[in-house]
Amino acid sequence: MKKVKSFLEKDIDLSILVGLTAAVLLIAAFVFGSSMYSARNIQSMAFQIPEFGFLALAMMLSNMVGGIDLSIIANANTVAIFTAYVLNGTWAFGTQGGARVALAVLVALCTSLVFGLLNGLIIAKTSAPSLVATLGTMTLIQGVGMAITGGTSVGDIDPLFSSFGKAIFLGLPVIFWLFLIVALVLGLILSLTGFGRKLYLYGGNPVAARFSGFHNEKMSVLVFMLTAVLSGIAGLIILSRVNSAKVGYGDSYLLQTMIVCVIGGIDPNGGKGKVGGVVIAIILMQVMSSAFTIMSLSPYTKKLIWGIMLILVLGLNHIIAIQSKKSTLKKSMKALASAAK
Amino acid sequence: MEPILSASNISKSFIGVRALNNIDITINAGEIHCLAGENGCGKSTLVKCISGVYTPDEGTIQIEGQTCRSMTPIEAMNHGIQVIYQDLSLFQHMTVAENIAISKLKFENTKLINWKTIKAIAKEQLDKIGVTMDLDETVGEISMANKQMVAICRALAQNAKILFMDEPTTALTKTEVSHLMKVMLELKKKGLAIVFISHKLDEVFEVADKITIFRNGNKIGDFNSSDLDEKSLSYYMTGREIEYPRYHRTYKDNTPILSVEHLTRKGQYEDMSLTIRPGDIIGLTGLLGSGRTELAMSLFGLNKTQAGVIKVNGKEVDIKSPMVAKKYGIALLPEDRSREGLFIERKIKENISAPIIDTICKKGIVNRKKENEIAEKYVEELKVRTPSIDTVVGTLSGGNQQKVVISKWIANSPKVFIMDTPTVGIDIGSKAEIYEQIHKFADEGMAIILISDEIQEVMANCNRVLVMAHGKCVVELSEEDLMQEGADKHLAEIIGNQKEKALSQEVAQ
Amino acid sequence: MTKKIDPFQRMLLIIIVVYSVFVTIKNPGFFQIQTVFDIIKTSSTTMIVAMGLLVVMISGGIDVSFMAIALFGSYTSLYIMIQTGINNLAFAFVVSMAIGIVLGLINAVLISWLKLPPFIITLGTQNLFHGIMTTFISDKSFGSGVLPECLHKFGQGTLFKVATANGSTGLTVSLIPVLIAGLATYFILRKTMIGRGIVAIGNDEESARRAGFNPFKIRLFVYAYSGALAGMMGIVYAAQVNALYPNKMVGDELMVVAAVVIGGTKITGGQGKIFGAVLGVLITYLLNSTLIMIGLSSSWNNLFVGAILVIAVAITSYQERVKNRKHLIFTE
Repeated sequence: MKKVKSFLEKDIDLSILVGLTAAVLLIAAFVFGSSMYSARNIQSMAFQIPEFGFLALAMMLSNMVGGIDLSIIANANTVAIFTAYVLNGTWAFGTQGGARVALAVLVALCTSLVFGLLNGLIIAKTSAPSLVATLGTMTLIQGVGMAITGGTSVGDIDPLFSSFGKAIFLGLPVIFWLFLIVALVLGLILSLTGFGRKLYLYGGNPVAARFSGFHNEKMSVLVFMLTAVLSGIAGLIILSRVNSAKVGYGDSYLLQTMIVCVIGGIDPNGGKGKVGGVVIAIILMQVMSSAFTIMSLSPYTKKLIWGIMLILVLGLNHIIAIQSKKSTLKKSMKALASAAK
Repeated sequence: MEPILSASNISKSFIGVRALNNIDITINAGEIHCLAGENGCGKSTLVKCISGVYTPDEGTIQIEGQTCRSMTPIEAMNHGIQVIYQDLSLFQHMTVAENIAISKLKFENTKLINWKTIKAIAKEQLDKIGVTMDLDETVGEISMANKQMVAICRALAQNAKILFMDEPTTALTKTEVSHLMKVMLELKKKGLAIVFISHKLDEVFEVADKITIFRNGNKIGDFNSSDLDEKSLSYYMTGREIEYPRYHRTYKDNTPILSVEHLTRKGQYEDMSLTIRPGDIIGLTGLLGSGRTELAMSLFGLNKTQAGVIKVNGKEVDIKSPMVAKKYGIALLPEDRSREGLFIERKIKENISAPIIDTICKKGIVNRKKENEIAEKYVEELKVRTPSIDTVVGTLSGGNQQKVVISKWIANSPKVFIMDTPTVGIDIGSKAEIYEQIHKFADEGMAIILISDEIQEVMANCNRVLVMAHGKCVVELSEEDLMQEGADKHLAEIIGNQKEKALSQEVAQ
Repeated sequence: MTKKIDPFQRMLLIIIVVYSVFVTIKNPGFFQIQTVFDIIKTSSTTMIVAMGLLVVMISGGIDVSFMAIALFGSYTSLYIMIQTGINNLAFAFVVSMAIGIVLGLINAVLISWLKLPPFIITLGTQNLFHGIMTTFISDKSFGSGVLPECLHKFGQGTLFKVATANGSTGLTVSLIPVLIAGLATYFILRKTMIGRGIVAIGNDEESARRAGFNPFKIRLFVYAYSGALAGMMGIVYAAQVNALYPNKMVGDELMVVAAVVIGGTKITGGQGKIFGAVLGVLITYLLNSTLIMIGLSSSWNNLFVGAILVIAVAITSYQERVKNRKHLIFTE
């Protein structure tokens, strides 16, 4: 029992999150019963999670270094547009079938890396606040997509590619497995590797990181490139699910990724948070989203609920933070007093 | 002289810890008064009680005969009490004129702004202290000394009767300090009471009429500045006569490990040369602004040099970044512990392993066992007082935090360790322990550059000393020089001479 | 204050002039009074909210909820007017701005209480406000037929007309609210104590507190002011489109942020000029309305705005970084 208590105290945010998720899942079971937990609905949720999930992971990474990446959605869409052009033969360079798909994925990867590099370099080399820097690149990347498509959607893609988005493995969509694997790998990288450790330290105090001999510019470029690759994957998934790509798809995801990060225990000031928390938050979000669909709520009502949720969670986090700060202060004061004696 | 402020029996406690204990203090008009004591002795708490930031638990404060039991900061300012904090609290992107006038206008509850009035106020105050400045310049662009003047003018604009200044000289060069002293004497003549707060023997002591020394929340006594010297002051402040053991170099190898030749960065330091052998502890002294921190930053790859050569083990190197410095075995203990030195919200072990994280990785994975071992080892070796290596660094005391910063670099086994004011804000006990460690490192062959402005610290630890002023090395003291009787007095004199030189230069100008 | 035009604004001016000359060469049809009037009309709504955003950014904050506030205010007030048959322009403005002030105060309270990046908080309130409006008031669209007559008149009104080759062209009445917003902002920032307080908390909140300012009160004012201007803009917008939709405006806020940032306003607070913000808005609208004239479709707009924004941000941030590094300040 003591162990449980100390665990709960150690990671209070995560414990609250798990409790909350369990409660929502239970309530959903009572209210909606089989319509929520039917195999079909679970599968459809699993189809919807990945594209949003990848974007949320991207946002999480940028938050972990105390920044924010507004360009993730623009990035995903523009990558999808480039890829769609390869897949519908416009830029296929004579490739067919599997080769064309491979080329498309390569193009997607390179495009997203270039976008990430752009973000990373601006932020690393000019110390621009990431909010305005990525606002700029967001507009720019969107502009690239707009300029080449003229705002229309690019479709007619190779069916081989779109079949990937619909494929099922062991009862769950392949893209869902892909998301789980990437999340797991990302989680392991952050918690176990030297890179992950440096990322946390750099996010918590970049000045001390520089004074400890970290390559701050490299850290920032790497983080934003990784962010961009995750958004690029989201773009590929969107393309394979929707069968077309256009500028402006999924704009409402920006708020949702931020909500998920906040709920998942990521500190927007950097240096704190775990992938596990974000993944649970993503699932929680999807369940709620699904419930809204079953209740056939209007998009406006959804907006209202997301807005309320963000403010509520921030408020709750704030209160918890004040409480825990108070208790640590008391503890250290006690220790000080006993040491003085 | 009549007392303008007298406080009697002031006591203040925080969560059961007594920060001030029955303090009596009298401040006279037209007097320069110094409050001295170590960090945490209560001098700042007293100022906060007088300026209305805190309400004292007991005691009374009389200002011009009027008794004030409890005051808000605004009431205190209405009584003519002004505090200039160490950070000066100026607005970087506003003009000089505005910075001077804004508080006055705010307190007069002005609603609308007239820019002519603002300039007039600023000009009047600047004239009062005999300084001319471009009123339209933004404060972010002016020198530290001028910022100090702006802060003083701002206080004067609000009809200050008592001016508290927290460590006013730390960021000033010698010339600037002497100028500040002139301004202080000028203000004193005008009947203003000036109280400055300090933790070390400072040149401003010389113009002080009265010095009050604090220790552990108690007042030790009032003194005349002529009655005190470095040693007696430190005795009163710490409560014990401290004689730190001197360091003697015993290391056999005399091949230089790091040499610097004619290193220059205009406006910061010029033509600096020094050679350091294993086992050397070189003291780099001279006040802030003399170029010593700037030089240290250059050796650590954080401040580009413009000319000159740095050699490590006889080979010329280009230290472009701290990463390169780390590769050559150069470590830096930075001046600002919590901002530059530590990841304050992370565990001790994560702080210690930060610079070596790549080397304790196996195939990219952090080797936790090794990390723990290393952390345990250095926590033990440096006597960091902590429940465990998993404790968050921010909860430790200043001394223990500093030991963690030292551990983090020692774990990287540096060949040259640059320590920028390593014992600022640290209790006496930890200080002695840190000195002991420094001696040990040097005995084992590490070369150390110790930046310090405490003569006692330099004397106890260094076998060679470089005195810097205005970006240049003015005197170098060898091992023999330092071994001579009265070397500490000599060193104090050298620094004193620099000040006189600066003064005479100014007269000449 | 000496009238020094700072180099950054000069650069923006040069860009505008050079670009205009370029467009005129490509398409002489650009160089006429009607173009100027058109740009004034189309940019008027953005100009108004840009002033509010400028004040918020000078105080060290940011607001991305103002478009939702504009929508909430204008939609609600016009909805009331449609329902009750009130036909009074002043009523529309007063109600809309009052709603704007209330919503702005909510922003300020949340930001002061939660002490978190205002971007995240106002992104939340953006959705919250929009959701409340559409859920609890109405989510119907209204065409020009049912809108109050006065609104229609205001939207079409001109201050004066100038005869041109093809008929006559007029300067829009919308310029009046723009001028009011601009002058009010100038007056607040330059001539009042609260304006200096806004700059002060943007510089350094702790120092502002020591100088006797109350950051909470100032923040209340700042976000309420931004809300009021948003409410005003909402009515101007509805009048210009001559229709009332429950989903317009929201989503365009980042473009306004971009324009203000192009104008040299720092997101870190304490710095920013009205003239700069005006230039920033002008550049974005100039591009918007002239791309077709130089043979590009309007879909190239974002590409150019994005490029200018990236360059502006990079230049200003890099200058700051170099200055800080020289003083051995590492801001990262």
